[in-house]
Amino acid sequence: MNSLLAELLLLRRRTATWILLGFWTTIALLFSYVLPYYAYTANTNFHGRGIVLYVLLPQNLVSTITATFPFFGGTMILILGVLSMGSEYNWGTLTTVLVQRDSRLKFFLAKIAALAIAIVPFVLLVFLLGFLTSSIIALREDQAIILPSLWDLVRALSIGWFLLAVWASFGVLLAVLSKGTALAIGLGIIYGLVLEGIISSFGRQIDLLDQISKGLLRTNGYSLISTLGGSVTAEVGPGGFSGTTVSGTQASIVFGVYILLFVAISALVIRLRDVTGTS
Amino acid sequence: MPSDYVIESENLTKRYRPHIMAVDGLDMQARRGEVYGFVGPNGAGKTTALRMFLGLVRPSSGSCMVLGQKPGAPDALARIGALVETPAFYPYLSGRNNLRVLARHAGVSYSRIEPVLEEVELSGRGNDRFKTYSLGMKQRLGMAAALLKDPELLILDEPTNGLDPAGMAEMRHLIRNLGQGNRTVLLSSHLMGELEQICDRIGVVKDGKIVAEGSLDELRHGTRLKLRAKPVEKARELLASLDGVSQTEIQDPDILIIEADPSLAADINRLLVGAGIDVSELTTTQNSLESVFLSLTGEVRSHE
Repeated sequence: MNSLLAELLLLRRRTATWILLGFWTTIALLFSYVLPYYAYTANTNFHGRGIVLYVLLPQNLVSTITATFPFFGGTMILILGVLSMGSEYNWGTLTTVLVQRDSRLKFFLAKIAALAIAIVPFVLLVFLLGFLTSSIIALREDQAIILPSLWDLVRALSIGWFLLAVWASFGVLLAVLSKGTALAIGLGIIYGLVLEGIISSFGRQIDLLDQISKGLLRTNGYSLISTLGGSVTAEVGPGGFSGTTVSGTQASIVFGVYILLFVAISALVIRLRDVTGTS
Repeated sequence: MPSDYVIESENLTKRYRPHIMAVDGLDMQARRGEVYGFVGPNGAGKTTALRMFLGLVRPSSGSCMVLGQKPGAPDALARIGALVETPAFYPYLSGRNNLRVLARHAGVSYSRIEPVLEEVELSGRGNDRFKTYSLGMKQRLGMAAALLKDPELLILDEPTNGLDPAGMAEMRHLIRNLGQGNRTVLLSSHLMGELEQICDRIGVVKDGKIVAEGSLDELRHGTRLKLRAKPVEKARELLASLDGVSQTEIQDPDILIIEADPSLAADINRLLVGAGIDVSELTTTQNSLESVFLSLTGEVRSHE
């Protein structure tokens, strides 16, 4: 418990945590509500205009806001995971902490638990602000403010947390393997923002890549949130996803396996590898 | 029954790649309550050895017990304070908050933080961020962190790095005080003067091995006599055959250094004067730790 409190103190006091939280909520709202609503108000004559407004209303909060999680949310939290673990190598603080009392495993599990807790505000805040924004849109458009059902909301929050937790553990793994932050963030961003998208798009032409894409984080993320209703596919724009989706159950299992694998490999490396100073 | 030795290593070896031998069969014992100096040139393997004692680096072979337990065992770590290489802390946290984080990890009450900050004279800057500290202040915070657990064993790696002369003197004074009573201090340094003033026993490390170990007097080979005599060669021949004189060495044209009990000084003087040798100086002298170190490690100084 003491170690967990120490790790929470580190995350809470770190400016980067708050910057990532602010940046994530800003871009989530921007792409979920602000830009679509601007397009809706600026163009009065386009096909499907009614559907755009419908998606922006509070009753569709869970499907609209969660659509940003597999792409932006995942990348933001990957960076948080990398910073949380990788900085210990950059600053040499791993040595300082590991000579206190905790075993390596206890230290690592405390860090993972602290990250799992730190993700909660990343989920809650974006939902809260999403609800406020959609309510404002509803009021402006003379629409009723209808809340999603409590069950849908709980499911969406859980799925959102689960999805971000996978990416955070992926960030931790990259940081542990690269013993730092720079390479881990670089590789993570390239993987999350570029590589998965390319594999998914080529998957439409190459069957093997289509099969591979079914095991990737983004595909499974979009598959998981598609169980909340609404459409997750978009051909264009940042985070556009047009690949094959899998069932919600399969996506949950794949994500569960990923978390276990990422955490287990990181823990094993931390336990076995010599701590030799700053990297 | 608890062992007299706080640290015991036997044939402790760390090989990084087939051709990089960082520590090569290190045998050493640090006794309870002593200040043990670990001295050696850069790259001799001191820090790697300290990291092995703390469980940060796993040995390739050999064995080691620290406070009666395997290195890195949580129960042993709870009784060890350590400052290894440069002090590493979270730059965005204040000194005080850094110590809070470490206190949490160590399971130590926050009430220990103020006394240790005061002990290293950092109370006034405790709320400033670590990244704003000077090197000396960082070193002192490292010392505060090492003292947080009120440890039985202190492992300090170059604790005076970055300190100004006054800070170094204060640190030496602090370490000497900390080494009193039952607390053991293992102090690694390449500053001979520092070790000479603080340590009860010293282990000289070269190429990952202890090449000499003992008290300061043992390492300096006791007290020697320095003679200024003319003709110096004749004096040397005479004294070489004298009982109680184990070694003679001509240093300067007129100066002869001999290893002998100082109580023989009067007999030596009488013998030399009786043989018609002019003796203008006869004093006791000691080898400095530095000269012992240089002769043991084969290090050569370019300037004296």
